[in-house]
Amino acid sequence: MLDRLKQYIVEVCCVYALLSVAGAVINQIWGYETNNINVIVMFVLCLIGTFVLYLHKLFDRFSPLFMIIVQYLAACGLSALFIWIMSLFFGPVSAYNWFEFWRSFTIPYVILAALYYWRVFSEAKKQDKLIREIQDRSRESI
Amino acid sequence: MRLNLYEDKKNTDERVDIYYTNMRPVIKQLIDTVNSERPSLKGRPADEDEDDGEEILLDPKDIYYLDHIDRKLFAYTRNGVFRLMNTLASCEDMLWNYGFVRVSKSNLINIFKIKQLKPDLNMKVYASFDNGERICINRSYKKSFNEYLQRMRRMS
Repeated sequence: MLDRLKQYIVEVCCVYALLSVAGAVINQIWGYETNNINVIVMFVLCLIGTFVLYLHKLFDRFSPLFMIIVQYLAACGLSALFIWIMSLFFGPVSAYNWFEFWRSFTIPYVILAALYYWRVFSEAKKQDKLIREIQDRSRESI
Repeated sequence: MRLNLYEDKKNTDERVDIYYTNMRPVIKQLIDTVNSERPSLKGRPADEDEDDGEEILLDPKDIYYLDHIDRKLFAYTRNGVFRLMNTLASCEDMLWNYGFVRVSKSNLINIFKIKQLKPDLNMKVYASFDNGERICINRSYKKSFNEYLQRMRRMS
């Protein structure tokens, strides 16, 4: 349990560091500015997103496509809940900001899911080739 | 591989010499046979009662895959399904040299019987056999499956 927690924390740190750097680069290029609340929100979203993705072992029985969809809905729902709670303290969130939240969450998720999809197919192709090679070599060696 | 057989009625020291370039699975199988350690899998036809059916000696090369269902182990061959009295873990240890690798909690598959490895649209990867059946390769076993294939390639 402790090992899992340690691994989870390490993964959160990696994800947060990557997003921070990517955010800083985008802000620098486009001239955006951020504030402390945004930083905290981004960190909590990292915690939620990493936690939901971390549960992938629970979906071993199901297809990866099902897992991706369920994890997307869960992560999106929990993040929206968190933003709604934040809005109770820091003022309402406009419809445009909700749309922005959905878009900034969905686009990277879809890109990563597509990459995962491509990786599954390319790995299977490589393994199929490897099996063919092993079978051929075995036939030749007899 | 060339096979030379010499019959000598006066020979009192029977022996087998193996000249090999590298220790690959087929050489290990020969060694197992000479040492009488060749895995013997005895199975009864699955459609017969446990004690009634006649035990048949199964050659690992004839087995497509092993399936563990309801605490029972079954071997699937071209000629039918056989109930084995071994455990899946013992079969995994015994048969790794014969191309058998674990792909899920309840399945060991024979890579020499795989016709094609292909993912479905839902991203589950299946190993199809030439008898038309297919077995899903569980994501948790993907890494060990890949390592096994790499090891077999190095050895072959």
